[in-house]
Amino acid sequence: MSEEVAAPRWRDSDLVHDFVHSPVAIVSVAVTLILLVVGAGASFVAPYDVINPAVANVIDARLPPGAEGLAGQHYWLGTDPQGRDMLSAIIFGLRMSLLVGLSSVALAAVVGIALGLVSGYFGGLADAVIMRIADVQLSFPAILIALMIDGITRTLMNRDLHERLAIPVLIFAISASFWVQYARVVRGIVLVERGKEYVLAAKVTGVATPRIIASHLLPNALGPVLVIATINLALAILTESTLSFLGVGVPPTQPSLGSLIRIGNEFLFSGNWWISMIPAAVLVLLSLAVNLVGDWLRDALNPKLSTA
Amino acid sequence: MTSLLSVEHLRVEIPTRRGTLLAVDDLSFDVAEGEVLGMVGETGAGKSLTGNAIIGLLDPPARIAAGRIGLRGRRIDDLPAEAMRHLRGKEIGAVFQDPLTSLNPLLTVGRHLTQTILTHLDMSPSQARARALKMLTEVGIPAARERLDSYPHQLSGGMRQRVVLALAFACDPTLVVADEPTTALDVSVQAQVIELLKRMCREHGTAVLLITHDMGVIADTADRIAVMYAGRLVEIGPTRSVLNAASHPYTQGLMASIPSMRRRGVALAQIEGSMPRLDAMPAGCAFHPRCPVKVERCTRERPDLAPAGASDVACWLSSTTATEDQVRHGG
Amino acid sequence: MAAEGHDVVLRVERLTKRYALDVPLLARIVSRERHRVVHAVEDVSFEIARGTTFALIGESGCGKSTIARCIAGILPPTSGSIHFMGADVARLRGRSAALPYRRNLQMIFQDPYASLNPRWSVARIIAEPIVTHRLLTSNAAIESRVIDLLRLVGLSATDRRKYPHQFSGGQRQRISIARALASEPAFLVCDEPTSALDVSVQAQILNLMRRLQRSLGLTYLLISHNFAVVAHMADRIGVMYLGRIVESGDTASVLDAPQHPYTRMLVAAVPDIDKPAGARQPLKGEVPSPLAPPPGCAFHPRCAFANERCRRELPALVRSGDAYVACHAIQERRAERRPEAGVDRSLV
Repeated sequence: MSEEVAAPRWRDSDLVHDFVHSPVAIVSVAVTLILLVVGAGASFVAPYDVINPAVANVIDARLPPGAEGLAGQHYWLGTDPQGRDMLSAIIFGLRMSLLVGLSSVALAAVVGIALGLVSGYFGGLADAVIMRIADVQLSFPAILIALMIDGITRTLMNRDLHERLAIPVLIFAISASFWVQYARVVRGIVLVERGKEYVLAAKVTGVATPRIIASHLLPNALGPVLVIATINLALAILTESTLSFLGVGVPPTQPSLGSLIRIGNEFLFSGNWWISMIPAAVLVLLSLAVNLVGDWLRDALNPKLSTA
Repeated sequence: MTSLLSVEHLRVEIPTRRGTLLAVDDLSFDVAEGEVLGMVGETGAGKSLTGNAIIGLLDPPARIAAGRIGLRGRRIDDLPAEAMRHLRGKEIGAVFQDPLTSLNPLLTVGRHLTQTILTHLDMSPSQARARALKMLTEVGIPAARERLDSYPHQLSGGMRQRVVLALAFACDPTLVVADEPTTALDVSVQAQVIELLKRMCREHGTAVLLITHDMGVIADTADRIAVMYAGRLVEIGPTRSVLNAASHPYTQGLMASIPSMRRRGVALAQIEGSMPRLDAMPAGCAFHPRCPVKVERCTRERPDLAPAGASDVACWLSSTTATEDQVRHGG
Repeated sequence: MAAEGHDVVLRVERLTKRYALDVPLLARIVSRERHRVVHAVEDVSFEIARGTTFALIGESGCGKSTIARCIAGILPPTSGSIHFMGADVARLRGRSAALPYRRNLQMIFQDPYASLNPRWSVARIIAEPIVTHRLLTSNAAIESRVIDLLRLVGLSATDRRKYPHQFSGGQRQRISIARALASEPAFLVCDEPTSALDVSVQAQILNLMRRLQRSLGLTYLLISHNFAVVAHMADRIGVMYLGRIVESGDTASVLDAPQHPYTRMLVAAVPDIDKPAGARQPLKGEVPSPLAPPPGCAFHPRCAFANERCRRELPALVRSGDAYVACHAIQERRAERRPEAGVDRSLV
């Protein structure tokens, strides 16, 4: 009786079709993937180890790109004031940016989705409380929140502890301002979906509430969440870089694109442009690529989000 | 009877990324002055697209790919947007399904009417307002003078649809295209709106193209019925002929599958399968995969509309020129 | 309204559902409005015998969908009782208490596009009741049952791996029916099951439902606004107006010899392809809002037989001939059988 339609192959889906026909999408996804791989495999890819202070050779400080070091090392992108190879520093900095960026997006997403589900499904007091906290949070700029959290932790912990916990604190600080978006979007979707008949059918069947939320509502909320997460990633990376630039992000011993830019700032007018400009270019490339992927994903997924 | 609206070999296409879909295929029919033509068909048959094509409001990417639409002999399908805008409202009125979204929530009922009237008719604002009041009274809205200043959300569904009817008839059009005008209304209100539509047509001499999937409404209102299937016209003829003595197997199957209060308890006749998707149209007659009386020719050649009794039918077996036995509806 | 003698599956007694509408604080102060109450369902009672179909019919706002949801357990009633399989399911608290009853009571919804989770495969959708009630444990057994159910509703075994968006409206309703039957229920609440479907598809689904009723001994509560569908499917009919049943009885009595003025007008106004053109009598006015039901008999503003008593006193549902009718005019024998003179052709 039913039409004999074969199960669809993902290759035939509209999403793949859109992707293949959009040069912007292909390029930005490719760039993002390359940067991701390079950053993740920093220890293997980078020619020199920049974490270990012993490796850096102060004699080789501030060499321009393409220069040769004293011991015959080849510095493709030059060196920084401490003699660290720029290329390696940038690759490790990339890793740091991606680590902090992805972690804070993941944390924000988990917290935001959970609160959004609770808020949307149960309504009432829980909804009111969560949304008011969200409103308050939104009135603070992300940087300000991060600065506040950083300042508080600095006073609470001693220097050593603070340095060891700097990165987790940073991730927490960045996600603290981002969770609100996820919560709001998920809450909106849940408000719409919970009245739909398939949810009612599950209730009539007697499915337990946590199961309804987890297996019926959550999967339907993930589409828009994915789009937000991608765009947020670019923002998180930029936020980390800004904080590192301001000196309140990653500790100075760890390389970060932001701190490299800061270090290089002082030497801009001495003509040592590469210390600042090259990390900045990489940062721009990364956030641009991720942003473009997010934009394309939002447009490509949009008609699929509205049911016929 | 002179032909008011003539549609000739209309083709409406929808280009998609997987190829072009043919939603209306070689459609031809006429509407005479003052007559009510009911266009019936199920979802996907192309009747709404036909209505939209006539009014010139096809949603892109759908477009008229071929054919000709003429109003009183004058060609209207290729008019520029500005000229079409003048035509709409003045010569052709439109009534859509959902009265809530047909009216602008920010405009009062009076504004809706006077705006339309002033756009198309040469009058002063106070004359327009007087005419608006007259229209509201004519459609049976109580306390019409006060209602001129009401907003759509302050009216009930039935009242809103009456306002929509007033708008459609405000400039005395020669043709009204009504797309599912009663589907969103309650049964008792449906009856009122249908009566109203019939009365307005009689009094203004307006022709109506009534598009709906509700056979009961058509039975009550239409002079002639056109049955659409998969973008094609399969049968067209006087109402009672089509309802009681349909010639096309699809029409017969359709009529037999409608539950009626008089015929109870018997299993409803059902047509197996479903309407073909636009991207999987069978060769020959579009209905042949589901047809109980098909022959070999039906799978190869698409039948043209040919006379069969009082109606025109697109079926190799039903036209009077066929040599096979005619299939009659059993009532 | 006793379905005399037969095994009663569902008995609803004095079911009432009211909603409180929150009036904003400022409006309350300014206009001194206390918060408004919507009387969605008022004092509704009926019984359904095993293996039969009872239909609730009425226009929008009459409360029939609300009743369906109260019975299905997704809306708690304000008062009244719902006796199902020996227990008052309206009184049950907690999921574990209600679970055994939920297994036997399932629901089919109106919108075929919203009643299936777009992200779940058909197999998973149909298996959900089986999994929830732990009726079968091995995956193979569950899959086999899903295939049986698909075949039962006229679909094929390969459909179980597909997703809802690959199916048409009629096919989705079949999937919904398969899901509803998965836990082998005794009772199905059908809320406008074919209203969103084309006529020929509707015929397929209605025929399927009748066949299943006969072969599986199912009992149906059918909610509809379509008289023809109800005529075709129901053994007994309850006509609702503004939250109350105004007439109930077996199908032939209600449709062929309607007594209550509202029923009579409704039957006369319904478009039907067998009715000659012009035989329709439109009603006066529209259904009032459930926020402000008229005092006394709710139908009196539109009724040709309304007298002073109708305006003050709510009529009780009492036996009249073969049916139960709530109408003073009927009880006082003031309403003639064919009130042609009383029907106003004006459209106000």
